[in-house]
Amino acid sequence: MNRAGLRTRVTVGFAAGALLLSTTMALVSYQITRSSLLEDRERNAVRAAYLEAAVIRTRLGTDRPDVGETLRSLDTGQTRRTVLRRNGIWYARNADAGITEAIPQALQDVVAGGRPAKQRVRAEGQPAVVVGVPLSRSTAFYHIDYLKELDHTLRVLGLVLTLVAIITAAAGAGLGWYATRYTLRPIRSVADAAREITNGDLTARLDAAAEPDLAQLTSSFNDMVDQLSRRIERDRRFAADVSHELRSPLQTLAAAASVLTRHRDDLDERTRTAAGLVADEVARFQQLVNDLLELARSDQPADRRAVDVSRLVRQVCRSRHLPESLLEPGGEREQPWVVDRRRIEQVLGNLLDNASAHGGGPSAVRLGRVDGRYYIEVDDEGPGVRADQQQVIFDRFVRGGTAGARGDGGGTGLGLAIVAQHAAAHGGHVEVRDRPGGGARFRVELPEVAG
Amino acid sequence: MTGVLVIEDDDRIRLSLVLALQDEGYTVRGTATAEEGILEQRRHPAETVLVDLMLPGVDGYECIRELRRTDGVPIVVVSARDDTHDIVAALEAGADDYLVKPVAIKELSARLRALRRRSRATLAPVPALTFGELEVVPEAGEVRLRGQPVPVTRTEFRLLCELAHHAGRVLSRQQLLERVWDYAVGDERLVDVHVGRLRQKIEVDSAAPRYLVTVRGLGYRLQR
Repeated sequence: MNRAGLRTRVTVGFAAGALLLSTTMALVSYQITRSSLLEDRERNAVRAAYLEAAVIRTRLGTDRPDVGETLRSLDTGQTRRTVLRRNGIWYARNADAGITEAIPQALQDVVAGGRPAKQRVRAEGQPAVVVGVPLSRSTAFYHIDYLKELDHTLRVLGLVLTLVAIITAAAGAGLGWYATRYTLRPIRSVADAAREITNGDLTARLDAAAEPDLAQLTSSFNDMVDQLSRRIERDRRFAADVSHELRSPLQTLAAAASVLTRHRDDLDERTRTAAGLVADEVARFQQLVNDLLELARSDQPADRRAVDVSRLVRQVCRSRHLPESLLEPGGEREQPWVVDRRRIEQVLGNLLDNASAHGGGPSAVRLGRVDGRYYIEVDDEGPGVRADQQQVIFDRFVRGGTAGARGDGGGTGLGLAIVAQHAAAHGGHVEVRDRPGGGARFRVELPEVAG
Repeated sequence: MTGVLVIEDDDRIRLSLVLALQDEGYTVRGTATAEEGILEQRRHPAETVLVDLMLPGVDGYECIRELRRTDGVPIVVVSARDDTHDIVAALEAGADDYLVKPVAIKELSARLRALRRRSRATLAPVPALTFGELEVVPEAGEVRLRGQPVPVTRTEFRLLCELAHHAGRVLSRQQLLERVWDYAVGDERLVDVHVGRLRQKIEVDSAAPRYLVTVRGLGYRLQR
C-alpha cells in the first residue's frame, strides 16, 4: 500500500516537474519568438511606409495631382493597404474601401498633430499594424500591414510548443515510474528477506554486490539478521542447556522416588509421609519442567498431519481413567483433521486435567467443524469462570479460583497457557464461556487445512 | 533372561536407574562409558540396552552403531535432549526407541515390557511372502533380497512383517505404532525413521522406493 503510494507520488512529482519546466520553456520561447517576429514586421512596415510616403509626397508636389492614381501606383501586394487623408477626405484604392475604420482616432490625432506613429490593431477581423506618416499639415498617409501570416505562424508555434510540453510531462511521468521501479527494487528485496526471516528462515540475507548504492542498508540489514539469529541460537542453546541441566537430576529424583514409593511399606509412618511428599513433588516438578520447555518452544510451527481426532480423544480419556463416553456422539464420524497430533493431544489432555482439577470433572467433549474451522469443546461441572477471569486464565501461572484448588498440588499453572499457545501455533484460538446449565465450556478453534 | 544394560555416564542417574529397574524385577548392570558397555554386551549379552547420548569418549550415536554392527538387540535411548534432530539421528543410528529424561520408571518399565513382548512374541504363522526380488520369511526371521539375507533389527523385521501381512493396504503411523511397537500413544517419528532405515536396506533407490511406499497423509504401504 505504502509502496504503491510512494511510487505514485514520485511519478506524479516527475510529471509535474517536467510539465512545469517544459511549460516555462515553451512560454519563454513563444514570447521571444513572437516579439522578435513582430518587431521585424513592424520595422519593415515602418520602412515601407516611409518609402511610400516619400513617393506620394513627390507625386502630390506636382500640379493637380490624382490622389487615387497615386495610391494605385504603389505596389502593396496582398498583405498591405495604403490610405491617404487629405483635407479631411479619405482617399483609398477602390479595393480598400472601408479600411479607414480600422485606423484608431487616437492614432489619427497624433499624425494630424504632425508626428508619425504606429499601432497594432485588428482590421477586418485580422491582426494588423498601422503606420501613420504626416505628409503636410492637411495630408496624412497611412500604411496598414496585415499580420495574418505571422499570426498563423505564431499559432502553429504555440500548438507545437504545447504539444512538446505535454509530451515532456508524459515522458517525465514515464521516467518517474521507471526510476521508482529501480529505486524500489532493493526495498522489495529487503521486504522479501524480512518476510523469509519472519517465516523462520534465518539464513536469508541481502546480496551486497547486487545494489552497490545501498551497501549501507544491505550491511545494516545483514548485521541485524546476524545478531538476531545469534541471539535466537543463544536462547535456543540456553533453553537446551537448562533443560539438560534440569532433566538429568530430575531423572535421578524420579528413579529414586520410584524406589521409595515401591518400598513405602518398609518405612515408618513419618518417613512414609515424607517419601510420599518427595515422590509427589518430583512428579509435579517433572511436569513443570516439561510445561516450561513446551512454552519455550513457542516459535516452532505446527507439524500438521492427518489425525483421527475422535480416536485421539478416546486414547487421552483412557490414559486419564476417564470414560470414553465423554466424547459426544457425532464426534465419532469426524474425518481426519490435519493438525499437529502432539499438540492436540496436549490440548485435550490439559483441558481434561483442568476440568478435573478446577471444574468438578469433565462432563462432555465435542468435536466438529464449522465455517472452515475445526473446534474442540470441553464442558465441566464446576462453578464456571468469572467474566473478569475469562481472559487471564490463559496467562502463565494463573490458577483456577476454586477453593482449595491450590492445595491439591496437581497443577503447574501452565496447562491453559500451553493450550492457548498450541491453538495459536495452528493459527487458531481458545476461549472459555459459561455452559448453559452451569459450568464452564472451553472451546478451541483451529483453521481447517487441506491434507 | 531379563537383563538390562544401562550405559550412562552420570553416576547418580545410573545408580538410581539400576535400583529402580531392579525393583521392577530386571537384572540390571550399568557401565559409565560406551566402550565398557560394548564390551559388557559382547561378554554378557543383555536383553535390552538403555543408552545415554552424551557420553565421554565414544558418544551414544557411535555406541548404538557399534552395538548394531553385531547385534539386533533392542536399544532404547534415554536422553535429556529432545531436539527432533537428536531423536532422528539416534533412531537412524539404529535405536529402537527414544525416551526423553526425566522418564517415569513406570513408563520406562512399560516400554521395556513392550520390547520384550515383541522380541518374544511368536508372529502369526505367515507363509514366506515374495515381493519381486524381496522375500520375507517370518518363520526363519529372515529377509532376503535377490536370495541374499539382509541384516535387519528385530523392530525393523516386525515392521516389515506387519506391512507384508497387509501387503497392498495402507497402514497409518498410529496403527504401526500400536502393532509393531505395542504403544497406545507414541511418537510417529519412530515409524518414519524405521521405514527410512528399512528402505536403505531393501530399496535400490531409497528416495524412489519400489516396495515401501509412502501414502501421503495416510501412512505406508508395501507394494506387491
